[in-house]
Amino acid sequence: MLVGIWAIVAVLPLFFGGTDFIMHILIMCLIWSVVASCWDLIMGFAGIFSFGQVAFFVIGSYTSAIVSAGFGVPPIFAVFIAGGFTALVGILVGLPCLKLKGAYIALVTFAVHMILEPVLKGDIGQAIGTGGTRGLLSIDPMTLFGYTFTTASPIPYFYLFFLVAVACSVIILLVIRSHWGTAFLALKDSQEFATCLGVSAFKYKLMVFALTSFLTGMMGGFYAHYVGMLSTRMLGIDLFVTLMVILVIGGVGKFPGAILGAFITIAINELLSPLGPFRPITMGALVVILVLLLPDGIVGLIQKLSRGSRGRLSPKVH
Amino acid sequence: MIFEIADVIISGLINGSVYALMAVGLTLIYGVSRAFNFAYGSFYSLGGYIAFLLFGLSFINSYFLVFLLAAPILLLFGFFVEKALVAPLRKRDDWEIKVMMITLGLALLLDNAYQVIFGARMKSLPPFLGGAFEAGDFYLSHQDVGIFFLSIGGILVFRWFLNNTRTGMSVRAVAQNPAGAQIVGIPKEFVFAATFAISTVMVGMGGILLAQKYFITPMGGWDILVKAWVITAFGGMGSIRGGLYAAFIVGMLEAFVGWYFGMTWTLIVLFAVLLTTLAVRPQGLMGKWG
Repeated sequence: MLVGIWAIVAVLPLFFGGTDFIMHILIMCLIWSVVASCWDLIMGFAGIFSFGQVAFFVIGSYTSAIVSAGFGVPPIFAVFIAGGFTALVGILVGLPCLKLKGAYIALVTFAVHMILEPVLKGDIGQAIGTGGTRGLLSIDPMTLFGYTFTTASPIPYFYLFFLVAVACSVIILLVIRSHWGTAFLALKDSQEFATCLGVSAFKYKLMVFALTSFLTGMMGGFYAHYVGMLSTRMLGIDLFVTLMVILVIGGVGKFPGAILGAFITIAINELLSPLGPFRPITMGALVVILVLLLPDGIVGLIQKLSRGSRGRLSPKVH
Repeated sequence: MIFEIADVIISGLINGSVYALMAVGLTLIYGVSRAFNFAYGSFYSLGGYIAFLLFGLSFINSYFLVFLLAAPILLLFGFFVEKALVAPLRKRDDWEIKVMMITLGLALLLDNAYQVIFGARMKSLPPFLGGAFEAGDFYLSHQDVGIFFLSIGGILVFRWFLNNTRTGMSVRAVAQNPAGAQIVGIPKEFVFAATFAISTVMVGMGGILLAQKYFITPMGGWDILVKAWVITAFGGMGSIRGGLYAAFIVGMLEAFVGWYFGMTWTLIVLFAVLLTTLAVRPQGLMGKWG
């Protein structure tokens, strides 16, 4: 399924390559597909209600921008430094969460999101070069082997993001297929039982925090160098809900679903833009309706249909 | 100086009392049904907007009538939301996260609907008591005193309801043991919907009370959601008494930090205190794991 999705995405520039606007949307789809997949990994597979995904993304983007501007690090390395830094933050946030349950974890991670805006805008942020309320306006574009990517020619940029997204999704798929994935499933079903069997909740949960925040932060870095400017507006509720819609449409805990969801959601979001102020209302209504009618997302629906056609019923396991 | 500190204490007490009313509502839903309501802040704004609309009607001239009319509207709204959106999800294994998602969608829907219907500009409500106690530099408006006593009164009425009425006792029974409550014939589904409705009334009333001081804005509910959430986690989710203490601690903390360091620091200090508390006592001040 993953191969199929990426094969279709890879040839999309052949049709839309001439239109910069659509290429820009496709690049955004690639970015959000990785961020949403990471969220799916931590929330859908590991069962940790982390609400700090957007915060990690913003931390990564600011880190990359500051590192490349302040220390003259080439952007291609800066994004990895950003990923590493975000992973560090992820571990710091993850540590208190390991002792907590359910809605408490949601609160602590959401707290990071809430604190980030005053920190970036305030004195501390200005001291490390976030530009305060104004944000960062000129971030170096990405360069690779002497070639500078520009937004004027989006096709090379598209394939750069495409490669990164494919790499990230393969990493996520490998994690889900490996013994990590099995451990997450066991921990999600019954933490006590899994721990008794020798699955270390501490190790695996911390690892998933580190991995998802690394990938998210790195993607944030790529995003920063692509759009060339950053502000704390990203921390508004819109982006947060867009990511959630992606997960709802794709299906929580149905891996390639998040990628599929990203393309569908961003497309819907753009199609709805003529509605103006009614767009967020429609998005909100969409979340409510989809959670009720399509609780497992598109991938869940496909699985259900393919099961139904074979006339096989899967027993419900509790 | 001494009057300034008195002012800070008073504002902490008044905000704390309203926070207590709202945090008790949030802790109630979580304690009884384990559902987390992301649209709680939007229900807060809803209370304010309902009061604003009611004041637009010609025959409404007192807060008494507004409370009398707003309470059943909020009650019905909460009941309907639970029945239509949350109840169908309960059958699923991963319903907790689904409930979070659906209420977040509802919050987005409501907040933007307010923006379209009422506009982005702030709306204000008339103060419900004029005048003030004055003694030299000391100033205490009657409105603040009224808000304080109404919130405390609301919590006391709620306590009486939980301890002395049949519905209240079934709410407590379901909170303690859902399966056991069902065995002795308590309609669990109804209790879930009823607690959701009651909590909606509590936060909506909080919205009406605070809207007189802080205006009503379409997005104003998020701040309240975060504060009510911090208070419930700080006091212990599902513990009403813990929530009560935590609300006053948070109210005071906010007032003193805001006065001494400036308002931008309140949220940061609040979360720092919360994280420290959770690191030492993961279940909050008076909560129990369950």
